[in-house]
Amino acid sequence: MCAEDSLLVAKAVSANDTAAFGELIRRHQSQIRNFLRKLSGDESLADDLAQDCFLHAWNKLRGYSGRGSFIGWLLKIAYTTFLQSKRRSKRYGEILEEVGHVAEITSTRYTQSNEEVSDLERLLAILSEEERAVVVMSYACGLSHREISEATGMPTGTVKSIIHRSKEKIRTRFDIKDHQYG
Amino acid sequence: MISKIINMADKLKDTEDQLLESLFANEALADDGFSKLVVRRIRRQIWIRRLALPVAMLVGGTIAIKPLTQLAGIGSQLTETAVKLAPASSLEIPAALTAQLPLAMTLVGCLAIGMFVFRLSEE
Repeated sequence: MCAEDSLLVAKAVSANDTAAFGELIRRHQSQIRNFLRKLSGDESLADDLAQDCFLHAWNKLRGYSGRGSFIGWLLKIAYTTFLQSKRRSKRYGEILEEVGHVAEITSTRYTQSNEEVSDLERLLAILSEEERAVVVMSYACGLSHREISEATGMPTGTVKSIIHRSKEKIRTRFDIKDHQYG
Repeated sequence: MISKIINMADKLKDTEDQLLESLFANEALADDGFSKLVVRRIRRQIWIRRLALPVAMLVGGTIAIKPLTQLAGIGSQLTETAVKLAPASSLEIPAALTAQLPLAMTLVGCLAIGMFVFRLSEE
């Protein structure tokens, strides 16, 4: 865990210091919002979920053990928040249907073009929710397999096999082999 | 030969991983008041929690005050009847307790308010 993070967590917990927690939010909001945007495919929904995630984090801050990275702990809460919201609402299904529909029409081959955002959306659309979460944690957030295991509650072996399976899917669907050498 | 194949496999894997990493690379999102908004929500939540107990006590007290006074009235009537029927010495303690009921209620109220004020000053 980053020393500055641990200092801010200690300050926030011991003195109920919302300003210290605000600094923690400033430091990690980008990663959490990006993670949720990739997971949900909806910017405004992701930002709402990110707010809920930080509120949950504040309420659970006393239970934070300090083991592992703070961002890993936050991503765990973000993932849980996302799953809870998905259970509550059917909106997620509609978004996924839309994204999936777009992918059906346009994504026949993966190319690294200027439109990387839409490529990424198409790529994420072929993955299941579980695969998407693991792949985003691994490649977008840079979490280790162990950290992903802690965040998702899956065994490390399962995380590895999900990453392998996702890569296989992406490779097959987007013909990624053509771009391996540059 | 085998080691060459393994090295090649690693290299291929690395290239693929790098490609995915570059695709997934996050653009840093500007805060744009996001953290302030969350902190404001947290502070509001703290205040709501802080006020919830006293407000609940106040509402509960308001609702309960009428039945409590009626109960106290019935209690005193019962005591009077019991005093008439039973020997005076056996009812001395309950009669004294009934008389002190309003005082006890006031004390409990003061204690609750005191605890709230203490919690406020602590925070």
